Amino acid sequence: MFLIDAPITGKRQVARGMVVIAMEAADIASCVRAGQFVNLGWSRGPLLRRPFSVYRVDGDRIEVVLKEVGVGTTQLLAMEPGDVVSCLGPLGRGFELKPGPRTICLVSGGLGVAPMPLAAKEAAALGMRVTWVHGARSEAELCSEWDGDEVIWATDDGSRGVKGTAVAAAPDADVVLACGPNRMLSSVAERWPGAMVAVETYMGCGTGVCLGCAVPLKKGGYDRACKEGPVYRASDVDWGALPSHLPYAVTA
Amino acid sequence: MTLDLSVAVGGVALRGPVMAASGTFGYGTEVPLLERRALGAMVSKGIFLKPRAGTPPPRIAETPSGMLNAIGLQGPGVEALIRDYAPRWAEWDFPVLVNINGESAAEYGELAARLDGVPGVAGFEINISCPNVEQGGLYFGNDPRAAAAVTEAVRKRTNLPVWVKLTPMVSDIGIIARAVESAGADALCAINTFVGMSMDLNAYRPRLSFRTGGLSGPAIRPLAVHLAHQAARAVGIPVVGIGGIARPEDAMEFLVAGCAAVQVGTATFVNPRAIAEVHDGIAAFLAARGLESLADLPRYLPRD
Repeated sequence: MFLIDAPITGKRQVARGMVVIAMEAADIASCVRAGQFVNLGWSRGPLLRRPFSVYRVDGDRIEVVLKEVGVGTTQLLAMEPGDVVSCLGPLGRGFELKPGPRTICLVSGGLGVAPMPLAAKEAAALGMRVTWVHGARSEAELCSEWDGDEVIWATDDGSRGVKGTAVAAAPDADVVLACGPNRMLSSVAERWPGAMVAVETYMGCGTGVCLGCAVPLKKGGYDRACKEGPVYRASDVDWGALPSHLPYAVTA
Repeated sequence: MTLDLSVAVGGVALRGPVMAASGTFGYGTEVPLLERRALGAMVSKGIFLKPRAGTPPPRIAETPSGMLNAIGLQGPGVEALIRDYAPRWAEWDFPVLVNINGESAAEYGELAARLDGVPGVAGFEINISCPNVEQGGLYFGNDPRAAAAVTEAVRKRTNLPVWVKLTPMVSDIGIIARAVESAGADALCAINTFVGMSMDLNAYRPRLSFRTGGLSGPAIRPLAVHLAHQAARAVGIPVVGIGGIARPEDAMEFLVAGCAAVQVGTATFVNPRAIAEVHDGIAAFLAARGLESLADLPRYLPRD
């Protein structure tokens, strides 16, 4: 785990309101795995850091993808190349892909694209055929970037690709990975109990200390999204007890 | 000039005045980038006799310059603590105090008896101020008789140092402080979190599943300095200042206000190096003013 003052090196818009921010963090770039995240803080920012899955790695740089959901992301989106963010990571347990399976299906909803490019890269390196099912409410909100051998688009309003959810549009595969709103992940759990899913929770420290990011488990009790997670076997999570909507707007 | 940052607090010898506050440092094995040299002591996450699952999510909510938490003292219970963590503490070069909790005075006493003599356990911090449990916790902390009864129950079962962590949710912290001192406490820790609430305007309900939570962070610092000062004026035993310390000058405020030492809590969540930075900054503060030890620091502690 590293704590790095990371200069922002670039920004690009990938969908309506969805922006990728690149920063220089060589130590993290060299070891981060798909599904792991970084916890970002910045001066004159909110008190707590904000967690983001690592989206891509390019040399010494890592990228995160975000949308404006509250005061923290608003400030982060206003930063320019050269501005510095404090970057703690890599954190959590990622998808931990292993060799063997021949096909993999990545299912993402909205900002759930975040861990998928790294997952596609790791899966391809393990010789898997990668299909990415890419869902959002409408075409404007679909992230324009994808990786793998095949992409299937799905929109709630049918403005691009299949009309309906990404989960409904997805083919079966040897391995299924999913990320998106917890409501979507709960339907992933019904269709593929063995899918590996990255959950979304509020988070405090990101390092396993504060116990703020509790994930309710089917077997009872809680564990930590930041430490044992954020990736879980879909059937292990008690989806009914995990808030499906995070009321982000923070007036800090 | 050699700088002496050591301080003795209620029977515990600290090499420096900065400690890790309970609930913000786990059991000492979880914190990344730990710089042990800077730790005066660590107070463990609060423990009960039995394992506890904790409260359902959401458990935390950010607020202006602070955070609300309602973790509900999730923990593995005392036997797991003795098995999994105490043996490691015994090898560390700084003392570890265990934050103990119960639903009755007798339970606190049981815990102290079970932990007394376990290698690695240097003392106790009695938690009579957790706002996030249905039974016990805060209830003991805002009634002088109940606070004294818990302290006495622990005091009778151990010869190890006994510190008591006070709640700010009282009309006169001096009354509780004196009651606990009379019951045999070796030191006081002031303060635990304030009870707060924040509403989710989309769901028309509280942002935390427990409804209320404990408010911590820089938002509470001036309140905490005042209460720690009030406690220090009320008693003869040392007071450990806690509340919103993130920078060296924050810690200095508590020390000048009459505290013998401090604990850093929420700041560790944000900055894993906070404790080391506070420790080093205190040393720099003293050195810059030609003070050779904490004993030389002028304190503002008028006795009425």
